[in-house]
Amino acid sequence: MSEDEEITPHPQPLAQTQSQPIAIAPQLPIPSTPLQVQPVQPVQQIQPVATDDVQMATAETPVTGQARMDTAWGSSEGDEDISEMASIGQTDSGEIFKQNYEPWKGELNPRWMRNWAILRHHILGIFKKGHRPWGIPTRIFLVLVFFASLSDAALTLLSSLIGDSEFHSMWGVNRDNLYGHVLGFFPRNVMYYPIVAALLVGGVISEDRLHGTSALYFSRPINRFDYIGMKYASVAFIQAIIIILTLFLYYLTEIMVFGRGWAWIVDTFPIFLGALMGGILLIITYTSIGLALSSVSKGKFFPGIGLLAIILGTKTLAIIVKNLFDREILYLLSPYDCLAHVGQTLVRTQPTYDQYSWTWSLASLIVMNAIALYVLSSRVSSMEVTRE
Amino acid sequence: MMSPPKKDNVFRALDRKLGAVTEFTMRQYRTKLSTWVILGVGFIAISIVVLFYVDSMQQEIEAIDNDGDSADWDGDGYPTGQERIYGTDPENPESHPGTFTPPIAPDAPEKWINEDDFDWDLAASGDTTAGYDDDGDCRLADSTQSQKDNNRNNIECDIILDYDEMRGEWSEPNSDRLVDEDPDEEKYAKEAIHRAFLLAIGKMGFVFLLGIFLPLFLATGLIREEMDNSTIHFMLAKPIARRDIFLGRIVGYLGIVWPYIIAMGAIVGIISGFAGPGESLFRFADLGMWMAIIFATMLATLVYGMLFCALGTLWKRGIILALPFAAWELGMAILSFNAPTSSILRFSVIGWSLNIIDAASLVVWPNMALFISMGMWGGGYGGGGYGGGGRWDNSLEGAGALSAFASDTGLGISPIATIVVSTLVLLFQAAILWLVGSAIFKGKEIE
Amino acid sequence: MMPDLQQVGEGETQQWAPNITAPVVLLENVSKSYGKIHALSEITLALSGGVTGILGSNGAGKSTLFNLLMGKLKPSSGSIKLFGTDPWKNPAPYARVGFVPEHEKMHDWMTAHGFVSLFARLNGLTREEAKSEADRVLNFVGLTDVAHKQLGRYSKGMRQRVKIAHALVNDPELIVLDEPLQGCDPLARTTIMNVIRELGKMGRTVLVSSHILHEIERITEQIVILHNGRLLALGNLHTIREKMDNIPHTISIGCENPKELAKDIINNDAVYGISFPSGDRLQIQTHNLNAVHRELPALIVANGHKVSSIDNPDDDLESILKYLTGGLAR
Repeated sequence: MSEDEEITPHPQPLAQTQSQPIAIAPQLPIPSTPLQVQPVQPVQQIQPVATDDVQMATAETPVTGQARMDTAWGSSEGDEDISEMASIGQTDSGEIFKQNYEPWKGELNPRWMRNWAILRHHILGIFKKGHRPWGIPTRIFLVLVFFASLSDAALTLLSSLIGDSEFHSMWGVNRDNLYGHVLGFFPRNVMYYPIVAALLVGGVISEDRLHGTSALYFSRPINRFDYIGMKYASVAFIQAIIIILTLFLYYLTEIMVFGRGWAWIVDTFPIFLGALMGGILLIITYTSIGLALSSVSKGKFFPGIGLLAIILGTKTLAIIVKNLFDREILYLLSPYDCLAHVGQTLVRTQPTYDQYSWTWSLASLIVMNAIALYVLSSRVSSMEVTRE
Repeated sequence: MMSPPKKDNVFRALDRKLGAVTEFTMRQYRTKLSTWVILGVGFIAISIVVLFYVDSMQQEIEAIDNDGDSADWDGDGYPTGQERIYGTDPENPESHPGTFTPPIAPDAPEKWINEDDFDWDLAASGDTTAGYDDDGDCRLADSTQSQKDNNRNNIECDIILDYDEMRGEWSEPNSDRLVDEDPDEEKYAKEAIHRAFLLAIGKMGFVFLLGIFLPLFLATGLIREEMDNSTIHFMLAKPIARRDIFLGRIVGYLGIVWPYIIAMGAIVGIISGFAGPGESLFRFADLGMWMAIIFATMLATLVYGMLFCALGTLWKRGIILALPFAAWELGMAILSFNAPTSSILRFSVIGWSLNIIDAASLVVWPNMALFISMGMWGGGYGGGGYGGGGRWDNSLEGAGALSAFASDTGLGISPIATIVVSTLVLLFQAAILWLVGSAIFKGKEIE
Repeated sequence: MMPDLQQVGEGETQQWAPNITAPVVLLENVSKSYGKIHALSEITLALSGGVTGILGSNGAGKSTLFNLLMGKLKPSSGSIKLFGTDPWKNPAPYARVGFVPEHEKMHDWMTAHGFVSLFARLNGLTREEAKSEADRVLNFVGLTDVAHKQLGRYSKGMRQRVKIAHALVNDPELIVLDEPLQGCDPLARTTIMNVIRELGKMGRTVLVSSHILHEIERITEQIVILHNGRLLALGNLHTIREKMDNIPHTISIGCENPKELAKDIINNDAVYGISFPSGDRLQIQTHNLNAVHRELPALIVANGHKVSSIDNPDDDLESILKYLTGGLAR
């Protein structure tokens, strides 16, 4: 070993000193032989040792959590210190510390306020820091879809600017277009809205299970129903902004831009209501299925991909069967087609499913939602709050 | 103490380590619930379609009397067709074969439905003449030679089938009047639907849905999940190259997926072999199709498995990257139905897999193109007259579906060569993806 | 490692042969940085044989160092050699290495025996060899009776032992343990410390990392101290401490009559300060621990003082670090 190099605060690396295995253990500065000490009288009190950072519990100071934490984490010596503490206090006397438990006499805030906090946390997370961090791709996609959903309102606006009535009849508010806004037009029905739902439901419950953050909720006076309820409501609300708010805006654009009067409004309002209800049904169905998947899985992506697989996969299967065997019955398994059928009835456009009545589709939707909600509620009520 | 290293050859040492990784992977899959859910969902989805197929094979297809000669126009109890054959006047109640000596019994009307079925030699290729007028309303009709030879090929009462070399397909059949005009709908439809079902489930069900979704869910996390769980450390600090770990994981994944595909294919194949139309109890010829379907799906899952595993290794959210790939492959699948010769298909995986199935269909059913043409034509009322110019859709049931799902391979070489070439291309793609994936894995720093 | 398809029959593999003259672990000017964070800066280290403790407070770079050694990270600059070979490029040296990682996630569905034997096969052992080796190492760490239970049911200490068993299955010459005593119950601690000492005595190279000096002290005396990614000290612990002769040491003595004892000890040249933190405690400040401790027992016995405890409250990693880094906050 090189003895001639100094150890400075900014050390130069020493040369290779470690080529030898352990030699004889050199003289330890601390005597390892037992000292010849007189039998001692028991120390009456446990005194703090004079080092800066180790706090010890004394008989006078209350055993607080803070003191314990500091002892455990403050010094870098880990649990060695605790045992040392115990050994320093080699005493015959013992002490019991009086515990005073007092019930908290304060007032819990009303339930709706707590629920509102959860709701707010999820919704504001879309665009504000300090709330539930939705991923950047999710946020970007939501914004994109929002603007894409406004496309028909924009086209209505455009048609008034260019004053082309044919253009207006293609894009303005009418039965088919109101239906199309929610359940119809090509990219929306297969791509935008299902993917929006998939992105939103993806991590909502599964991330809590994965990271154990559900403990943050359940260690507070929040019951499980509120927990799911508010998560459900937040996802539904965000989808509602994208689907239903844009529907409103579309309708409003037509009214304002073309100066439609009350007669027109009275005429078209039932259709609008029908489309609205169709949209609500869509949101409810996608959210239920998605949240059920999210409560089953632990990953962040599989619930979303699972939802897409269910929506698109059942639709594809049904199309294949229809083309091969001309049987439409498989459409009952596809949530999108059931929604479309019911929506067509609500808005009273031309039904494209003619082999069976719309009541079957409605029944199928109810069953699907019931199953999904059942799975969701049973999973969440049995969810263990620790990291599973 | 450490024993001196054994002298063994490359294969044995590699096999032990690779074998260990593979065995570990397969055992790991078995313990995961998601594996069973995915396999189960695939099974259910395919079963549903199979149920529909079996049901439709049992169904009766209405026999339509296309030429109306089973009706008794003059009310004398003899169907028109019978009266025509015997030369009596179908519109004269007095004139019927019952007046002959000895009197001829009236036929049941059913005898005159679907009586003039297709009489085509389906093994034909090139230009040919086909068809035979079974019910004699062309041959035995009281008309001139030129009336009996509408298609002007100097053969009376026949159909000209013209193979267009340039476009590689059969042109519209050119029929003399009233030849093969009352075809057997059920016979055709069952065969057509059966073939369409095999093609549809093989291409869309097995290659597309199973071939993409199984790797998507099972292969993406092969390396990624281990990295996220930090359990990959147990594999990495060992004298095995990362490339081999990658390969071992994929082989383990294939060890779960391939037997599943083979089993599913075998089950559906056997069911369709028994339920399919035809006189024989079991359609042995279709087994060739099923072998091709299973083989194509196996190759597809191999290539997609490598791809998705590489994507998962590359990025924590690799599964998001997998979605555009899946969308691209869907587009390519649709393209291969509509325009099988387009060269963009060369840049996809599914184009080559579907090629294998299409090529096999040409081997197993060499008459496919002619068969489809037959169905689309639907029966010869001949040029001129009704069914002539502005023809309505006379196609037989099933022809449309079959023509939607069948397609040519588009490579321009023989079917067997197509299969060989496609297989080689897919294996090559798999090898490239393996190297790319293991290079990504090798360069990954893992905390 | 694509198999050479031209080989026929019993070919001989290109066996990787360790470089005997090179040290087992050699780091030359190794640095690792993540953007602006320098996890390790210019570490040069050569280790061969015996147990070496790698000490450092949390964040000093111990785990980074081990990850670099095990080929999980690539050094931003400098070179690392295990048995003379770069592990990032060639995983062959790992045939002689056993690694016990810090985290405890294992495959909960496997049994301990299954786990050890399966991953043993990754070293090239056959199935039967792996099984017998697994039995051997599980016996060594004391888990034979629970070897066929699922890992999911194991306690923390048992898991730690399984990891050690898994690292020892290929009889490695270099064993690397990342914070092996963390979270262990006292029985497991003793077992593990014994195991490590045994391995060191057998001539293997063992690297143990910890942030607790007392743990390391019980196992070995060769230490490497890392601080903020830099090599701070290297060598025998006690020699290092001796070299730090300007470091103020405190000796805290609990006794009945501290003032009396103080009168006796104050004549010692090494003592430069005395304080009485309480009525029965004496604190001696000295620059030379050895000198005081040499005199102290004799003094106590000779004058009949009643002493209940003697200890060095600042003999810990933090004070060493504080001294060595000059107390500079970084």
